[in-house]
Amino acid sequence: MENIVEFKNVTKRFKDFSLENFNLQIKQGYVTGFVGANGAGKSTTMKLMMNLLQADEGEVKIFGMDYAGNEKEIKERMGFVYDSNVFYESLNLKDIRRIVAPAYKNWNDKTFYNYIKIFELPLNKAIKTFSKGMQMKASMAMALSHDAEFIMMDEPTAGLDPVFRRELLDILQELMEDGKRTLFFSTHITSDLERIADYITFIQKGRLLFNDSKEDVQDRYALVKGSTDILNRETEELFIKVERSSYGFQALTNDAREIKALLGDRVMIEEATLEDIMFYAKGAKKQHV
Amino acid sequence: MINLIRRDLIIQKFQLYVFIPCILFFIFFGSHLSAFFIFVFAGFFIPINAYSYDEKAETNILLNSLPYTRTQIIASRYIGAIFYMTVSIGIAVLLFYVFNRPFTWADIAIGVGITLTMFAFAFPLFYLLKPGHIGTAVTIGFILLVILMGPVITFFEEYLTPAVNFLSSVSTSLLYLSSVGVITVLYAASWLISQVIYQRKAF
Amino acid sequence: MGMENVIELRGVSKALKAFTIDNMNLQIKQGYVTGFIGANGAGKSTTMKLIMNLLQPDKGKVSVFGLDYANHEKTIKDRIGFVYDSNIFYESLNLKDISRIVAPAYKHWDDKQFKFYVKQFELPLNKAIKKFSKGMQMKASIAIALSHDAELIIMDEPTAGLDPTSRRELLDIFQEVMVDGKRTILFSTHITSDLERIADYIVLIDEGQILFDKPVYELQEQYAIVKGSTELLDADTEAYFIKIERSPNGFQALTKDVAKVKEVFGEHAVIEEASLEEIMFYMKGADHPYD
Repeated sequence: MENIVEFKNVTKRFKDFSLENFNLQIKQGYVTGFVGANGAGKSTTMKLMMNLLQADEGEVKIFGMDYAGNEKEIKERMGFVYDSNVFYESLNLKDIRRIVAPAYKNWNDKTFYNYIKIFELPLNKAIKTFSKGMQMKASMAMALSHDAEFIMMDEPTAGLDPVFRRELLDILQELMEDGKRTLFFSTHITSDLERIADYITFIQKGRLLFNDSKEDVQDRYALVKGSTDILNRETEELFIKVERSSYGFQALTNDAREIKALLGDRVMIEEATLEDIMFYAKGAKKQHV
Repeated sequence: MINLIRRDLIIQKFQLYVFIPCILFFIFFGSHLSAFFIFVFAGFFIPINAYSYDEKAETNILLNSLPYTRTQIIASRYIGAIFYMTVSIGIAVLLFYVFNRPFTWADIAIGVGITLTMFAFAFPLFYLLKPGHIGTAVTIGFILLVILMGPVITFFEEYLTPAVNFLSSVSTSLLYLSSVGVITVLYAASWLISQVIYQRKAF
Repeated sequence: MGMENVIELRGVSKALKAFTIDNMNLQIKQGYVTGFIGANGAGKSTTMKLIMNLLQPDKGKVSVFGLDYANHEKTIKDRIGFVYDSNIFYESLNLKDISRIVAPAYKHWDDKQFKFYVKQFELPLNKAIKKFSKGMQMKASIAIALSHDAELIIMDEPTAGLDPTSRRELLDIFQEVMVDGKRTILFSTHITSDLERIADYIVLIDEGQILFDKPVYELQEQYAIVKGSTELLDADTEAYFIKIERSPNGFQALTKDVAKVKEVFGEHAVIEEASLEEIMFYMKGADHPYD
């Protein structure tokens, strides 16, 4: 299995935030979802991936290549969607195509116009008159029209209604069918990831908490409910965070198997959604989730 | 690279429609203006206007996400500026010719020289500034210019006569040649500085 | 006192350039959380602007707290808290200054409450709003909306751009705010799982028309996704469904009459709970969504 993206001990420091000693691998042929709180470092990571930022220390490799000397070749094979509109606001899609298309060797006009049709986008209206959803669709059409092997998207589904989100996810799933493409996208709508992601990358305060397959995450993590009698120093070790109330406790574990073996039928074990995991991990004492 | 330069035309379609009428306006109603001043205006118009589109962070994110290198993006700015300046001044000269307004080769040379010098100072300064602050910088620059104009003129009145005397003592061809040399060095240095600044820029 | 309507739109029409609302009727009940859903451009923001009197109807009546805007604009707005989906505060000011501008506008401004939310949301008081992230701006709007003891809180996509953890915290706060039963919340969102968490009523709008306005439990009871072999479908049975999708493996459809489907198909079909997202998805392409 090949890694499309590889971060080795990457450090990037800002005034009020830093990414420290960050390691990340994104596997070829899969959809990887990127989650984390606002300000956790998702956009920084993606900008490092696009060489919009350069690492202070460490190595960023895309398609096994360094940006130094291979910038054009790497970007030729990448598609990008940002969470804000990056296209000239006063231009229409026709003109933007005339700027973007010649930049790529593999630009395909037929594919592009096909997406424009599917997305019901007007070609002659200035981008600034587009709604947020339409702007997002326009970015997607650009990103998908040059046969990119790696597509990176920063919150592509933000601001889109559920119906369109579902259509979009279907289109992305279709794209993945030949197994050659890789998709990496960040989102706050975790139900979208539960729908299409194969891997989940979870970042918190500039540190990677996990980067595992969705099945793995589902197997390991669980919500545990029970009476507070069970809690002692030893059992608490099994939980990432414990919330107590007068009825009992509720906690997140990343070792569901051990809990089952140890506490068995004295507790209720429920599946933890990604949202649950994020919620409990936020206030957790242990950071090695 | 050519695509990057062509982009300047696409993004300012509207301004291009304004360009020729503007020059015509100067030709008909600006008879008190020296020809070289109109050439400077013509040469400056499109490249600087294109630049104002590129000051936005989003635009830089776009350009840097497309398969272009930062070196290319800067190069397109500097080569494009020369190209558009040449075409614009060419058009202006043509219009002068058509409407029978007098001008000399010296007007063209001085126009080109001043335009390039202005680019050489403006571009690195703009790349150095944070996006969104260019408007402010231009305003402050203008105010400074107004304030400093007086003292500068007195300064020149005092020293200009010996300077002119000196310049008229050297041969014209030598004068032109050395100006070309100075401007080329300025422009190249500016290019280099912009590249260094842009290379380290974070978006 | 029976159930009261905090907001009432009666026969409201509004023609905008690219979009019209025609003869809209809508009641929002006091003491409940109503979720407002619909595709982008369906008319959610326009409806909310009509409720806030930012737009005036061409025809029909909008009343809030049983009062009309023509005579009671100040009284109404004093009792409403609002959160829009874009930042409406002066970008270069900090929260302290903004609270100084907003506070005197309300009779019941509670500075202690405001400081409490600012602390809870971890917002800086001395930083310009333009330096806030989208999520922080949203939280700032919400802090202001909740600090003048408003009876009606109207929010246009308050959870957009927020990460799941902040979203959940926010929903918990909304739930707390609702505890005394006097308050009413109306909010639009694209994240339907948030509504499944806290909404009592759901209003679905499409192309300027209210498709339904129902309590959540009723939706859960009546609507379902039905899967089965296409052999089950004929002119009679197709009438039970809002929309049917056929594939080589069978059909999948949305019904709003689970009882009937169960009775007719019995064990031959698989019946699953329909999420709000699925209801929206199927209703969008429906041939007869209004019956």
